[in-house]
Amino acid sequence: MATPHTRERLFLFGLLTPVTLLLGIFFLLPLAVIVIYSWLMPGLYGGVEWEFYHWNYGRLFGWADGVMEIYEPIYLKILLRSLSLAILTVLLTLVLCYPVAFWISRLSPRWQVVFLFLITLPFFTSLVVRLYAWLLILKPSGVLNSTLLGMGLISEPLEILFTRTAVVIGMAYVMIPFMFMPLFASIGNLDRSLLEASSDLGAGRVQTFFKVMLPQTMPGVIGGSVIVFIPSVGNFVVPDVLGGAKGLMIGNLVEQQFLSARNWPFGSALSVVIMAVVLGVMLIYVTRLVREGRAS
Amino acid sequence: MTQILEVRGARRVFKTPEGGTVAALDGVDLDVGQNEFVTLLGPSGCGKTTLLRSISGFEQLDSGALMLEGKDIGRMPAFRRPVNTVFQSYALFSHMTVERNVAYSLEVAGASKQEQKILAGEALEMVGLSGTGSRMPSQLSGGQRQRVALARAIVARPKLLLLDEPLSALDRRLRQKMQIELKALQSELGIAFVFVTHDQEEALTMSDRIVVMRGGQIEQCGAPRDIFRKPRTKFVAEFIGDTNLFETTIECVHGGRILALTREGTKIWLSEETKLAKGDAATVVIRPTDLQVQDAHSSCGFRGKITRVIYLGTDLHYYVQPAVGGQELLVVSRTDGSRRAPGDEVTLTYRPERAHVVEDC
Amino acid sequence: MKYLRRLPLSAMLLTFYSLLFFAFIYAPLALIVTYSFNANPVNMMVWDGFTLDWYRIILGLKDRPVDIVNSSSAYLDSTDQLLEALRNSLIIATSTTTISTVIGTSAAIALARFRFRMRGFYRGLMMMPMTMPDIVLGIGLLIFFVSAGAKLGLTTIIIGHCTFLTSYVFIIVQARMAGLDPALEEASADLGANEWLTFRKVLLPQLMPGIAGGAMLAFIISMDDLVITYFISGTDSTTLPVFIFSMVRRGVKPEINAIATLIILVSIIIAAVGLWLRARRKD
Repeated sequence: MATPHTRERLFLFGLLTPVTLLLGIFFLLPLAVIVIYSWLMPGLYGGVEWEFYHWNYGRLFGWADGVMEIYEPIYLKILLRSLSLAILTVLLTLVLCYPVAFWISRLSPRWQVVFLFLITLPFFTSLVVRLYAWLLILKPSGVLNSTLLGMGLISEPLEILFTRTAVVIGMAYVMIPFMFMPLFASIGNLDRSLLEASSDLGAGRVQTFFKVMLPQTMPGVIGGSVIVFIPSVGNFVVPDVLGGAKGLMIGNLVEQQFLSARNWPFGSALSVVIMAVVLGVMLIYVTRLVREGRAS
Repeated sequence: MTQILEVRGARRVFKTPEGGTVAALDGVDLDVGQNEFVTLLGPSGCGKTTLLRSISGFEQLDSGALMLEGKDIGRMPAFRRPVNTVFQSYALFSHMTVERNVAYSLEVAGASKQEQKILAGEALEMVGLSGTGSRMPSQLSGGQRQRVALARAIVARPKLLLLDEPLSALDRRLRQKMQIELKALQSELGIAFVFVTHDQEEALTMSDRIVVMRGGQIEQCGAPRDIFRKPRTKFVAEFIGDTNLFETTIECVHGGRILALTREGTKIWLSEETKLAKGDAATVVIRPTDLQVQDAHSSCGFRGKITRVIYLGTDLHYYVQPAVGGQELLVVSRTDGSRRAPGDEVTLTYRPERAHVVEDC
Repeated sequence: MKYLRRLPLSAMLLTFYSLLFFAFIYAPLALIVTYSFNANPVNMMVWDGFTLDWYRIILGLKDRPVDIVNSSSAYLDSTDQLLEALRNSLIIATSTTTISTVIGTSAAIALARFRFRMRGFYRGLMMMPMTMPDIVLGIGLLIFFVSAGAKLGLTTIIIGHCTFLTSYVFIIVQARMAGLDPALEEASADLGANEWLTFRKVLLPQLMPGIAGGAMLAFIISMDDLVITYFISGTDSTTLPVFIFSMVRRGVKPEINAIATLIILVSIIIAAVGLWLRARRKD
């Protein structure tokens, strides 16, 4: 008869082997492959030469031999544009969701369930379909322009589609549920008596918000921001549908390198940069969490 | 009496989060007789739960032997041991009806549906829950769930029933009722019970034998009366019941009589066998119920002044500051006697055989 | 109305804003649904009467109007293409849901019930696929599969989906696991059930809400995944989102409205049923 200890080891082995194989081979290995590819030389007709090659990063960050590879500031510009776009998306969703989360938190439990359901419902609907709707709204002959024209507010159609504005609107729209849920978790758990105590002690509404409510709900604000920021940085679907040439983001650049330019090493280098940004944000977030966990 | 369970030299060491180690069981020997109600009593962290979990098989001993009816069960997985447990949280399966919960051990043993139904019905009847079999656990009150947990643990007639603080979630009145019922159930079933609690009153009410544990070791083991009257150590004396403690030096030992002196010079007479000799330090225990409040002019006893009187229905608690100084003493007396007020000068008397020397540690 | 009048101005503004917010969320979807019934084949902004023709067309019950067939981008070549994409999506989503649910649940049980040295590592590993941008995972798998000489197709998509959906299932089952009294399994063992019986009769039924929730989420995300599928689908295994994506890229045509409306309808039904089941279980 096997002793309880060896039985336990056997079960543990059985439970963990599938996940180890799956994530080891099809997750960690591909990530490693990207990093390796980013330091290899692109082949002439697609493919790759097994030779150490640092110009992929040179093209991006400003060192290049000027012969085979040329430093193009545009890549760096697109990277920075993508970062600022992601940050803009975070701020926009935050400002949009915060008041609504507060409003829902003050409803009766029954209505809370209804409105939370309404917020999550679009999440279950196809992403492409939702973006397509915005294409219909924002295009020159679309709903927005015809409404504004009809009301006489503008005299000629606004050029919103295929601009960065369109990308920010679309991105904020698809990211709302991701911001909303962590925010609501924090705001919903906020002890109402804290706000009452603050106004009882003489603080006005604005003071109460900045001195009590915002600090108390900070975990939700930060959690939601991280959850929205990460998929926003490398997103290529939203810029692809709504952004056009003016709204090109780093995600589109990666996609081009793989599916049209066929420069896989350069595309890998761009991906490594996205990965680095995301890991950096996660690292800051996790250390913050750990520090807070220790403090409390 | 034949022993059903024998524990020999049980040791179990845990790692602490800080990297140290702590011995939850540090050489425990324990015998449980057929049809005996044994209570493991002690503060949290004393090892009582670890001992119980080792018997049920949820913890493995690092060393030591575990014998059930003379057979070594130490390496046997929990599901093979003919021992059942009533859990503190009851651990009822919320996805099954009460009846299926109770019949669970029969079901996994492969008993027929009919047999399951009959035996589960009997067990439910035994705990006073006939007719609730088709309900879900969530539809029952706390006390009823407790009974279901009990029925589930006895339905297969284990050799030994382990109870891990099963009454701690109930309110006081219900707990007292269950204590009596548990005791009755135990004699009806004729199964040995090992009961874990940190509630000394519970231990005194139900047990044939109390095992007081501390720091992974057995501090004292005996009948409730012995534990209460003759605590071996200061720890046991303080853990069970209220206590007045006196740090003394032995003044003289003569026959069965001992004279001890407190630091303040109060004389305490004792009447018991002892190995102590003149000049030894000794801690003396007198229970609050063994002190009597007398008028101030009575001859021998502790003189003092009442500082507080607390009325507790049937009992009165007097706090008395000894005239010679030292710690306040507690006296418990019946309310039907004469009432005294704070500030009254009194003398506290006692019978020498009710004073008792305990070991210091 | 009486209730509204008693509210202070700030509360009224907040309510007004919140309702506007929900209008903002639902207006785009409502727009698509409306357009899908518009008979105008050239400019869908102009209402030309109610029609079900677009639905008939995508279901192959009716031929396209001549002006669409003749235009440069008749992107829905046949209903078969659409059905093929739908079939692929369903195959992928069902296989992925099954595999990732089994693997994710085992991992959640292992991490919750066993103490072992690599626990912290596994915990981090399970979180990583969720934090990795999908484009990075997509190209990583693309390079990996191509270098390994694997043929891109349904199998590679299924594998790709499993890598990140396992994490979603893991998170949800783990949350359920954390709320579970460990004494339940001990009680089962105590009453004579071996590990397998305990798993089947106690742990699995107790975890079922979490497992079902995780599986539902995995199914929905798999059905909707665009980015990873887009990179590793190869040439002849299109899924529904990739199919619609390429349609949208080629320009706005009225048939998309009908397809999108059907997708909205189906996803709302699935979500509603799922949430209804969850609410019922709580009672």
